[in-house]
Order: sequence, then C-alpha cells, then structure tokens
Amino acid sequence: MAEAVIGNAQRSLWYKIRIFVNSYFINIFAGGLFALLAIFLAFPLVMVFIKSLWGDDGFTLSFYQEFFFYNFYYWSFLNTMILGLSVMSILVVVGFCFAYMTTKGPHWLRTPLKICALMPLCAPPYIFSISLITLLGRNGMINNFFNLDFNVYSWTGVIVAQCLAFLPLSYMMIENVLNSQNPSLEESAADMGASEFTIMRAITIPLAAPGVLKAALLVFVMTIAEFGNPAILGGRIPFLAPDTYLMITGEGDFNMASVLSVVLMVPCIIIFIIHNYILKGKGYTTIVGKPTAVDPKDMTPVIKYSLLAIVVPVAIMILLCFAVIVLGAFVKIVGVDNTFVIDHMLNMQSNTAIYNSVKLSLMAGLFGAIVGTLLAYVIMRGKFKGRKIMEMLALSGFALPGTVIGVGYIMAFNSPPFLLAGTIWILILNCAFRFLAVGVEAGISKLHQISIEIEEASADLGADFITTFFKVILPIMFSAFIAGFIYTFMTTMMSLSSVIFLVTPGFDLAAVYIYLTAQLGELGLASAATVKMMLIVVVCFVSLKLLAKKTGLDVIEKK
Amino acid sequence: MGNKETPMLELVDVHKSFGDVKVLKGISASISKGELLTFVGPSGCGKTTLLRIIGGFTPITSGKIILDGEDIADLPPNMRDTKMVFQSYALFPHMNVRKNIGFGLKLQKLPQKKIDERVDELLALVHLDGLGDRTIERISGGQQQRVALARSLALEPKVLLLDEPLSNLDANLRVVMRDEIRNIQERIGITTIFVTHDQYEAMSISDRLLVLNDGVIQQIGTPSDIYETPDNRFIAEFVGYVNFLEGKIESFDQDSSGLFLVSTEYGDISLNKINERNFDKGDEVFLVIRPETVTLFPLDAQDLPNMLTGKILHSMYSGNLVKYTIKCGDRELLIDQYNPKDSIRFKRGDTIKFTVPRTVHAIPKKG
Repeated sequence: MAEAVIGNAQRSLWYKIRIFVNSYFINIFAGGLFALLAIFLAFPLVMVFIKSLWGDDGFTLSFYQEFFFYNFYYWSFLNTMILGLSVMSILVVVGFCFAYMTTKGPHWLRTPLKICALMPLCAPPYIFSISLITLLGRNGMINNFFNLDFNVYSWTGVIVAQCLAFLPLSYMMIENVLNSQNPSLEESAADMGASEFTIMRAITIPLAAPGVLKAALLVFVMTIAEFGNPAILGGRIPFLAPDTYLMITGEGDFNMASVLSVVLMVPCIIIFIIHNYILKGKGYTTIVGKPTAVDPKDMTPVIKYSLLAIVVPVAIMILLCFAVIVLGAFVKIVGVDNTFVIDHMLNMQSNTAIYNSVKLSLMAGLFGAIVGTLLAYVIMRGKFKGRKIMEMLALSGFALPGTVIGVGYIMAFNSPPFLLAGTIWILILNCAFRFLAVGVEAGISKLHQISIEIEEASADLGADFITTFFKVILPIMFSAFIAGFIYTFMTTMMSLSSVIFLVTPGFDLAAVYIYLTAQLGELGLASAATVKMMLIVVVCFVSLKLLAKKTGLDVIEKK
Repeated sequence: MGNKETPMLELVDVHKSFGDVKVLKGISASISKGELLTFVGPSGCGKTTLLRIIGGFTPITSGKIILDGEDIADLPPNMRDTKMVFQSYALFPHMNVRKNIGFGLKLQKLPQKKIDERVDELLALVHLDGLGDRTIERISGGQQQRVALARSLALEPKVLLLDEPLSNLDANLRVVMRDEIRNIQERIGITTIFVTHDQYEAMSISDRLLVLNDGVIQQIGTPSDIYETPDNRFIAEFVGYVNFLEGKIESFDQDSSGLFLVSTEYGDISLNKINERNFDKGDEVFLVIRPETVTLFPLDAQDLPNMLTGKILHSMYSGNLVKYTIKCGDRELLIDQYNPKDSIRFKRGDTIKFTVPRTVHAIPKKG
C-alpha cells in the first residue's frame, strides 16, 4: 500500500473544474441543442395546439365543434384523405411497375425509365400544376389541339399532378426493395416450374410488401401535406393545406387555421410513429453471404407489355411536363403564341426572387447543417436520458406538413420574447429546422461507421472534448455536414408550403413567386422561374450524387 | 505480493455494476514497474471493462485505482497518464501515419522539430521507417497495429494498456506481432497491461496473468503457476487439457519419506507434497493430471509407485505425439505420449499400466 495516496480532496479547485467540464461537456452541449429544438420545433407546434383550444374567453372546444359542424371544414379533411389514399394507391402500382421494369426489365430500357421516374426530384412538386395548366388548361395545348374540354382545375388535375410529383418517392423505395431481393429466390422458384407471373405473385410481391407499405405511407404523408398542387389546381375543392393558408390570409382566423393544422398533423404523426417504430426493421433480408451475379432473363411478353402500357404513358407525361416548362420559359404563350421571347427569363422580379431564395437557402443550409451535425453527435454519443425524445423531435420536422410549421411559426414568433416575424431569420430558422432530419440522419449514419474508440483514443492521448470535437469528430463527419448542407439548401430552394406564411410583401422568394404567378395565369413567368430554380437544384442533386459516390453517404436514397 | 517496492498501479477492491448486473466484484491487484500483466478470461468475464476502467473510459462503481501514488479513479481519460491501444486500433482516418503518432505530442504543444524527432524515433522503434506519410487506408492491418502502438508510446505513459490488440490479425501475423510487442515492451521497460481471451497468447507474452471469471479473480500468477499449480478447477481447465482424478487425503505428513497419500477409486497415489495449501486429513481433492505427465507401460512391466491399470480405447498419431484415450474404471483419461518413434506403441484394446508422477498437483474439490 502506498502511504500517501493523492485523492480528490488534495486537488486544486481549478483541477476539479477541469475534471467536471471534461466529463460533462457533452451534456452541457446537449442542453443547448435541446433548447434550440424546443424553441424552434416544439414551441411552434405547441402554439398550434394551444391556439386550437384557446379563444378570446380562454379554453374552449368550440373551434373543433365548428370544424365538425360545417361541412366546408370536415370535407376539407375528408377530401385530403381521399386525395392521399388515391394518390397512394395509384403510386404503389405505378411505382412498382417502374421499379420492376428498371430492375428486371430489358436492359436498354432501364436507364431511360429510371431517369424519367427520378426527374420530378429536381423540380418542386407544383411544377406539374404549371405544366398541366399549360397542357390541359382552358387554353391548354392539348385541349386546343384536340378540341377537348378537359377541366384541369378538378380532382383529376390535382391527383395527376400529385402522382407525377411524388412518383420518385414511391419508385425509389420500391426499387430499393426489389434490388435487395436475392435473385436466387426467383431462380429457385423458376427451377421448380413457376411462371414469371406466379413468381411475381408468390415471391416478388409478398417479399416486397413491407417495403412497399412503407413507401405507401410516405407517399400518403407527402401528398396530404403538399400545398402547391391542391392550391393551384384545387379550385373550389377544399383541401386542408391550402385552406389553412386561406384561413390566415383571407380570414385572419388563427384559431380555425390551428384546428385545420392539428387535423392535418394527426395522420402525419400517426404514420410517422408507425413508420419509425412499428415498421422499423420490418422487411425481409434475403441476401445472405455473397450475392451472385445473374444474367437477366427475358420478361414474359404479357407481363412486359402490360407493365409498359402503364409505364410508358407516365414517362411520356413526365417528359412532356418538363418540356412544356422549358418551352414556356422561352415562348410567349405555349401553344397559343409560340414566338421566342427572352423576357420571361430576364424578368427582374423573378431574378430577385431567385437571388433571395439562394441567399435564404445558403443560410438555412449552413445553419441546418451545423445544428444537424451537432445533434447527430449528441444523439449518438451522449449518455443522458431523453436522447430518444431529442432524436424524435429532430426527425419530426420531416414528417410534419410545412403548412403546420408555418402556422406555428407566425404564432410563436410574432411577439416577444421571440419577435422574429418580418425578418429573414424566421425564414432561415423555419427551413433549417424543418429539414434538419436529413442532416441529423446523415450524421448518425456517418457516426455509425466510426468506432467510438476513435474518440476515446483522442481523449486517451490527452485531448479534451473541444479538441477532440474539432480535430477528430468534425473532420470525420465533414461529408455528412456537406450532405446536410446541400440537401437543406436544395429543399429550401423549392419549399413553398411553410415559407408562404412567413414572407413579407416586397420580399419575394422563388417558390412563392412561382406560386403567385401560376395563380395569376402568368405561366411564362412561372415557367421561367421554375427553369432557373431547376438548374440550381440539378447542380445540388449532382453534387449530392458525387458526394455519395465518394463517401458512400446517400441522403437522397435515404429519403 | 512479495514485491517490496511501491507498485506502479494498484487496484483496490474495484467494483463495477451496469444497472443490476455486477460485472466486477471486488478486484484487487497490483502491478510493478516494467511488468507485463495480462488480463485473461472467457468473454464476458469483465477483463475489458477492467481495462477501460483503468483507462478512464468507464466510470468505477466503487474502489480505488492508484497510479504511482495518485488515486485516478475519477479523472477523465485525457487527464490520466495511461495510454491505450484499442482493439480496432482507432487510428484517425483523416490523418497520415506521422500525424497519428504525433497527435498527443502536438497537444502537449511541443515544438514541431521535437515532435518530428520523436515520431522518427517511434517509427524506427516499430519498424515503420519511411511509411510516415502514408494514409491509414494505405497500410496493412499489422502496420496499423504498429502505428497504434507507437501513438500510445509517444507520450511515455506510466502504464500502457493493450485491448485485445492481436484479435484483428491473421494467425501468422498474430505470433509475429505478439513477439514484437513483448520485445518492445521489454526493451523500453514500460509497465503494460494486456487483455486477451486467448490463453496461449496470455501464457506466452506475460510476466504474470490475472485470470478473471464472472467478475472475480480466479488466480494471479506466472504462466507456470497457472499451468502447473492452478488454484481451482476453472484455472486448471483454462489452459491446456486436464484429467481430474477424485481422491481423498489419507495420510498427512506422517510417513518418514515425506510423502502424502491420496486414495482414489482406482488405487492409492502418493505425492511429494500438496501445494502450499493447508489440506487436512480426510479432505476431498481433485488431482490435476496433465496428459503429458503420465507414462505408459505394458501390462507385464514391473510394479512402480503410483501405478494404475487401464485399457486403450482409442489412439491418434500426429507425428510428434500419440494421443491415447484410456479407460480407467468408468473414467476416460487423455494421455499424450511424446516422441512415439522411441516409445512402445499400444493398440486399441490393449490393457496397459500407467504411472502418475509424484509431483502431481491437487486442488480442493469444493470452492
């Protein structure tokens, strides 16, 4: 036994503080991030709840009563659900057909079909409203050419636009599932005498079912939350997202807007929970050991042609929609006066809007990436209680409809202590926190690849927490940071549903500008702004893909 | 321990629980300067936890960890003078070999020239001269191991901790690296704790072994202590194959020859001495009979002390030895006969005699 053992009592105060800070820094850090999440995500949502239950005379259920009493309100809910269900059902089938063709179809067709199915990703969803109006509106190209009387401002119009907009989501998820199926299963079924149709019915579809279900749920959430298409094409049909907007801009009725938001939020939250906690890890793992390369088999003609009958018209429609937008940007009025003009592209107001959007997106991207990276680290490495809640909160921005968060923001940050309304900060924070999920998930998946021993080694060699963070963790997580940045930048560029509540007159954003010009029927201006936006988004998209190739961190596939 | 000088590291009644699960149940041990002590035991025995407690990565539930006269139990890792080589090596992927090795030195704010000199020295020590500018991905697993070792040695820690450092290497490289680690350790005389689950690795590299099972120290001792005079059945079975013969102590230091007599159901066996343990007459014991200590004789051989009879059930020739399975009563014993070329060979079914040496070790049947 050593006689004089130095214990804690003999140490200086400064030494004791160093010990404390070194041991608990991550918790101090986590506290700060938690506060940010609480203020900029939870607080607006709580405000929405409160406002839906709190009138001039205090607590009341009368707003909900009103909602269930007037058919205008509850039909808004029912319509939204019907829209969600129909788009979901159509996209499960169409998405599967595309995925089947691009994984098992003829080789020469795979890439073109894949490109068509993914194209809508590089444009905002409401681009299809503009295209459909150009093609099938009252003065639309197709309507004029074939002398049709098709009304695009209808259920059909909204459903078609939504389906085209969210096809990539459904396609990517189902394709992923089909790709991860072990081809030997189908081969062994064929070996036992099953026809391609039997294999599809008995093997491929049942195995893909859990994945397809997940895709369906996501499509449903995205569809009911989408603001642009129903707002532009919905005409007199009530839908929740646009009605919430109208309730505020038209009536100034924050209580009813909150009720509609809550009603819209409930299915989203339920699905978010099902998706993240019940379906998590569900699905079949069929590839064990080394996957073998297989020669593609020729598809049975009946199957091939029936799938093509679905896939080809959709692909043509997507191409047509994009073509019409590009065309619309450079001619006077597509189909009516096809003279070349450059005015749409040079429009000052549109350029200012694009400039503002880029500025906003850069800031939101930077802010979101920083917070996302830090959150990912704290969630993965922290040892405190409440990490799960933190993660759920951080990821919830993605599941919640933009309109809901938009409504929450105007109510939460319109008065002290957080008076942000009218500043660019309310927009930055809104976008940064709404799209936080991607940065956080990218960070988490990056941290999964890094052994915690690396950080321990750094501490072991004498580095304190801050040094470890800046010298070891940040450099390693840099790719996740960049991915989070680009993704947030890209989605902020296109985002409409939330920012439309928060922009002030005189400060145009590209998305809002496109929406307003489309509403006014200024399709040339709307198309031109969309083309410019698409160019920026495509650049982001390509950079993300390059990043994914280099570092194996694919945020696009993840979503 | 017998050592008079102050130990470099002393563990005093270390307890660790994760929730309700007690992982370490009162570990006390000390390690002297320059010694290589190995923590060894089956997976889940708590050896890695104990190492991580010493390194500061896992907080202790109770007890003391005294490093060179200072209780370091509540210091974070960066404030302890222990350095660890991790199982995964934990090299920084965004730095080259030099930067990895110099990481700790740089944090000490040494002048760059000093750092460069020291890094060169270390590169030479681990035979990586010329590879300093390589990135981590561009060196082999064995080389990564050397970098990790050099990085930990750079700061001249008081105690070096090695967490299963060889487990990611293939079998041949493992032996090479094992010898090399031992070589470097002896050369610079650094106090080292080595963790492994591989008994043979532990035996061949250590000055002493600390065998853990179920959070309790089973035995601390030199490799030969562990193999030849195990404290209990667990230790006896831990390294190498062992035959146990149940017996009872019949006579106790009465005989003028100084022999002890143990009766077994197959006959009496006399021993030179029974450990340092205080057995009493009538105690039940296990005799620890290693396969290579038994000598076989044909049935017609003349009687010798400690001779029992048995029947060959099975024999397996493998060049340097023959492995015999012998039926003795209702028990099967495994006997190794080395150098078969110069020995009498037995066939299956032969009845034979065999002797157990008087040096055979006995352990208490209970506890």
